[in-house]
Amino acid sequence: MSEPRDEIPVQRPWMAIVQKIGTPILSAALAIAIGSFIMWISGYDAPAAYAALFKGAFGGPKQIGDTILRATPLIFTGLAVAYGFRAGLFNIGAEGQLFMGGLAAAALGVFLVGQPWILVAPALLIASALAGAAWAFIPALLKARIGAHEVITTMMFTYIARYLVSWLVVGPLKAEGQIPQTTALMPEAQLPRIQGLFSEGALEAFPFLNLGRAHLGIAVAVIVATIVWLILKYTTLGYENRAVGFNAFASETAGISVQWTTVKALCISGALAGLAGSVEVMGVHHRIFDQFSSGFGFTGIAVALLAKNHPLGVIPAALLFGALSAGAGTMQLEAHVPQKIILIIQALVIFFVAAEEIILWFVRRRQKEAMSHAG
Amino acid sequence: MLGDIITPDLFASALRMATPLALAAIGGTLCERSGVVNIALEGIMLTGAFFGTAAVLATGNPWIGVGAAMLSGVAISAIHAFASVNLRADQVVSGTAINLLALGVTGFLMELWYGHPGTTASIQVLRPIFSFSSPGGGFLAEAWRWVNGIVFSHTPIVYFTIILAVVAQWAMYRTKWGLHLRALGEHPRAVDTVGVSVYRGRWVAVLMSGALAGLAGANLTIEQVGSFTENMTNGRGFIALAANIFGRWTPVGSYLASLLFGFADALQIKLQILRDVITVPPQFFLMLPYVLTVIVLAGVIGRAVAPAAVGEPYKKG
Repeated sequence: MSEPRDEIPVQRPWMAIVQKIGTPILSAALAIAIGSFIMWISGYDAPAAYAALFKGAFGGPKQIGDTILRATPLIFTGLAVAYGFRAGLFNIGAEGQLFMGGLAAAALGVFLVGQPWILVAPALLIASALAGAAWAFIPALLKARIGAHEVITTMMFTYIARYLVSWLVVGPLKAEGQIPQTTALMPEAQLPRIQGLFSEGALEAFPFLNLGRAHLGIAVAVIVATIVWLILKYTTLGYENRAVGFNAFASETAGISVQWTTVKALCISGALAGLAGSVEVMGVHHRIFDQFSSGFGFTGIAVALLAKNHPLGVIPAALLFGALSAGAGTMQLEAHVPQKIILIIQALVIFFVAAEEIILWFVRRRQKEAMSHAG
Repeated sequence: MLGDIITPDLFASALRMATPLALAAIGGTLCERSGVVNIALEGIMLTGAFFGTAAVLATGNPWIGVGAAMLSGVAISAIHAFASVNLRADQVVSGTAINLLALGVTGFLMELWYGHPGTTASIQVLRPIFSFSSPGGGFLAEAWRWVNGIVFSHTPIVYFTIILAVVAQWAMYRTKWGLHLRALGEHPRAVDTVGVSVYRGRWVAVLMSGALAGLAGANLTIEQVGSFTENMTNGRGFIALAANIFGRWTPVGSYLASLLFGFADALQIKLQILRDVITVPPQFFLMLPYVLTVIVLAGVIGRAVAPAAVGEPYKKG
């Protein structure tokens, strides 16, 4: 992850910024271009499909709300994966920690009835973060103590978490009725919708506030992203995290405990993923059931990579994937393109960011051309 | 009660369940021995399972399906080879991209070709090779039930996998190719110095692992289930990686480790069938293979040493 690469020589200060965000943007653009090629050879109308996708994601305040709604858990899972990557750890099992976070919020939320929102909501968020951290703890310990690869262990814990939730919602935590799900959370345990914060009159005067199902979780997500950014940039905790990710051997020599840093990093990553579960439970479904996450933990990998593991970069990256996911339904409905194309585009984004050489090769060639034209 | 669980069928089922894991694990062994991490086994297996099924649906011939599964495995692993060998990308991340790509492509083509998500129509499957009749009654019949069940009841790929494990073990330790393969993962520069191409060696290893993981997919659909369901591999690629580690990066070790996981899987299926007798929720049995994987990794890792250069891109110097 930290292999030195030949970088393009920096000519001007703004070039550095362009370079930093250039690869992700090119990667996303290339992935979308290949996505339309796939649609075209499959006999679909690619422009119509993207038009429908755009309409579904940004066509009006409700649609923008949907994009925000789906970006919210992705910010958390993206942060989770990015924080792990910064310590040289690949938390591929964010999905499992998300399940445990959601479970904690759904289970605890039913008990904290009758207390004020200002106490209950933060308590549930903290509980879900702790649950996510706990679920990452054993893989973290195994990684630190005996080097068991976190990709395999966190993945296994994801399957275990899914079966655990799937048992709880038909067993001990099942709500009354036929459907396998938990009891609905009371309003004091929910994250309210953004449009619900404004009066009817305000919504009529400013229609763009009609953000549909988007909820307060997005504010929590942006705050947490900022906190993670500050931690990584300004605290010892963040410094050690980055140092170990950059060169574990040198860090150990410099007196940083690599084992302890590894445990902390994977647990914090798990806590962030756990929060993704609670915003889905508290803001969207108000309960937990088998299929409550549509793979947000795995999409978080693409989000983190696209953001180049920058906590603030995670926000626009999550919005992009949130938009793709929000628009996919409209795309299938109007252009009849299977929603699975979104997965393909995600995979391509990961691939291009990972294989940066492709992009760099392309950029270098253009630079050479430009130089030879100039000379 | 115990007699209901310990039957010839349990052990036969363990061998069957071990087969896709072992094929992928041996593929993983070859790949990691050459110095390339292959987290993509899961996705390659899924790809093989889908294209194998699609080919059988199109032609009605299960053997063509097996070929298609292996070819599709080779094709998708070529992307991984290109990214990790030539582009020197992070191999774990590239593998993750392949896993996601496989999920997307199989799901997309499923809807494009068959018009619906979920499960395909049933296909013509490969039958067990042998079919012997019982040689008598009494004790002989009982003994025969065990021998026939465990040894003679299997489909072709199950036998092939056992032969493969032995042959691959021999090739890895007794041939020049095997020596080069092991050196690629330990000290690629040395291999380069003696005039053997690191890139070529790694490419071959990655493509071989693709063919084997594709075959694992064929075993799932064309020998075991008889249809394709989206995301049906369900973590088997990751368990195979663990089996490869538990087997200390050797083909026979990988096979034996897979047998352990296969037995866990067979046992949990058996216990689920007996759910009227055993009142434990089925989800706990379903967790069993995954829990076992973690336990095995926890118990073994400290003493298992990975190839020194695994995961490190090689730059021609």
